[in-house]
Amino acid sequence: MNNINGKIWLFGDDINTDLMYPQVCYTLNEDEKPFYAMSANRPGWSRMVNRGDIIVAGRNFGTGSSRPAADNIKNLGISCVIAESINGLFLRNSVNSGFLALQAPGITNIVIEGDIVYIDLKNNEIINKSNNKKINFKPLPQFLMDIIDNGGIINILKNKKLLGGPL
Amino acid sequence: MNIIEKILKNHSENIKEVSPGDIITVNVDRAIITDMAALHPEFINNPPLRPFDSDKIAIIFDHFVPPPNIEISNRINKLRKLANLWNIKDFYDSGSSGISHVIAAEKGFLKPGSLIANTDSHTIAVGAFNTIGRGLGTPEIMNIIATGRTWFLVGETIKVNLNGKIKNNTSSKDVFFSIAKATGDIPNNNIEFHGDGIKHLTMDQRSSISTMCAELSAEFSVFPYDNVLKSYMDNINVYDYNPIKPDNNAYYYRTYDIDLGETEPMVALPDRIINNIRPVSEMNKTEINVCIIGSCANGRLSDIKDAAEILHNNRVNKNVRLIVTPASTKIYREALKLGYIDEIAGAGGLVTNPTCGACLGGHMGVVGDTDIVISSTTRNFKGRMGSKDAKIYLASAKTVAISAIKGYISGGLNE
Repeated sequence: MNNINGKIWLFGDDINTDLMYPQVCYTLNEDEKPFYAMSANRPGWSRMVNRGDIIVAGRNFGTGSSRPAADNIKNLGISCVIAESINGLFLRNSVNSGFLALQAPGITNIVIEGDIVYIDLKNNEIINKSNNKKINFKPLPQFLMDIIDNGGIINILKNKKLLGGPL
Repeated sequence: MNIIEKILKNHSENIKEVSPGDIITVNVDRAIITDMAALHPEFINNPPLRPFDSDKIAIIFDHFVPPPNIEISNRINKLRKLANLWNIKDFYDSGSSGISHVIAAEKGFLKPGSLIANTDSHTIAVGAFNTIGRGLGTPEIMNIIATGRTWFLVGETIKVNLNGKIKNNTSSKDVFFSIAKATGDIPNNNIEFHGDGIKHLTMDQRSSISTMCAELSAEFSVFPYDNVLKSYMDNINVYDYNPIKPDNNAYYYRTYDIDLGETEPMVALPDRIINNIRPVSEMNKTEINVCIIGSCANGRLSDIKDAAEILHNNRVNKNVRLIVTPASTKIYREALKLGYIDEIAGAGGLVTNPTCGACLGGHMGVVGDTDIVISSTTRNFKGRMGSKDAKIYLASAKTVAISAIKGYISGGLNE
């Protein structure tokens, strides 16, 4: 995976899956779903996101259900989530959807909304280019990075010819 | 190793020791698919060609029973087709179904020492049965159906000692709130329950506590194997299992002691649970107009019984609508036989068919903008049960039933 450069949107603690993928999304068309992300806690936000933007958040990001919340913010154009801590189910779902989610304790102390950050995946370092402050993140095991690099678990299953046709 | 590390080790190949920080590949004993899988486009458009073992897969309809609209009905019909195609014997459709974690317990899938995969995020519920499992996304379950395997990052384990006995006016939900106040959120970490108070907790109570551990962002939770669990398994004629005890030198990252006798009725205020819990006694008669009893946390027979007993010779407040949703067909039928449903309906409560129902805001009690809800369900996220403007308080079935009579949040009928 290439290093990531993007403008950040700052969110607080306990941002849950139901905020990222509200109930109404379940039966919408795929292209409509992403615009409902964060509509309850931050109305209008989804329309302001540009492709490649990054979400920085506080503790316990992604707490909640197994719904495809990671897909929804990925499909909105978000390139990566960096949080103080991340719920394990959200982390798994991110990996399995080919989406990068990083835990970097202290990240919320070195950024404000609108800063540009650079994620150096080789040196496990996040650099805030707006103030030159740096922080390390805990890298994901290579095994999981490989799933992300393959575009997620569904792609891997398709490549192995383990999936069938529509029901 | 502790219980969780030992169960993980037993399901891996060629690993002698499991420690925090490891990433391991495991074989799962049972994969459970709910009707929610039908709402994931990949599952419907590209289902696994064939399951690794049809006898280790269960399909349980729970979230949308019966389907609330045409789209969901059409998608769920495709899962029926799949159940037939894959020759799934453990298929629970409406009429025999219930919430997957509750059905899994009733049908004996939760054998002590085993490892369960399920698409639902409250799969941590299985911990009550000396079994481990966590919620997984639909794409991951597709991988498990195809291969029988998945991976886990081994987290640190917290030991929670439950000591003493709970008081009559409190419930297991209140015990969970006490735990949540002590630990806070614990993403990536596990919880093991120990202590002399466990022997006084029924399987319903343990299940309520383990279910709610999902709301701490815990990876796995687990209770020890004891006579209460053994009796449960004996009663459903399941004997082929290997319960797991921790080693004497098992490592725990932190230890918390909870005195069950000190626990009092509590509520979680709207939007989140962590750092948002108050004693009911401090709620100053907060008015509510919707009361919900149900879910994998607190829709079990003992919860329905609590509601029926509290509503006996009482009436639901004229400003309140009370909806009670039993967690499984078995619970529903037992509640019918024991007269609980008649008692609740007679008091002005509405009893629905078994389903996850109002908990996820999909049907059977979707709430509107001005509704103020007190619910025995699992989550109080903004917008969880319908409108983003509705306020959701969480509490035990007892507190919800009392509040339904009073019209405000209350922990006692005589208050």
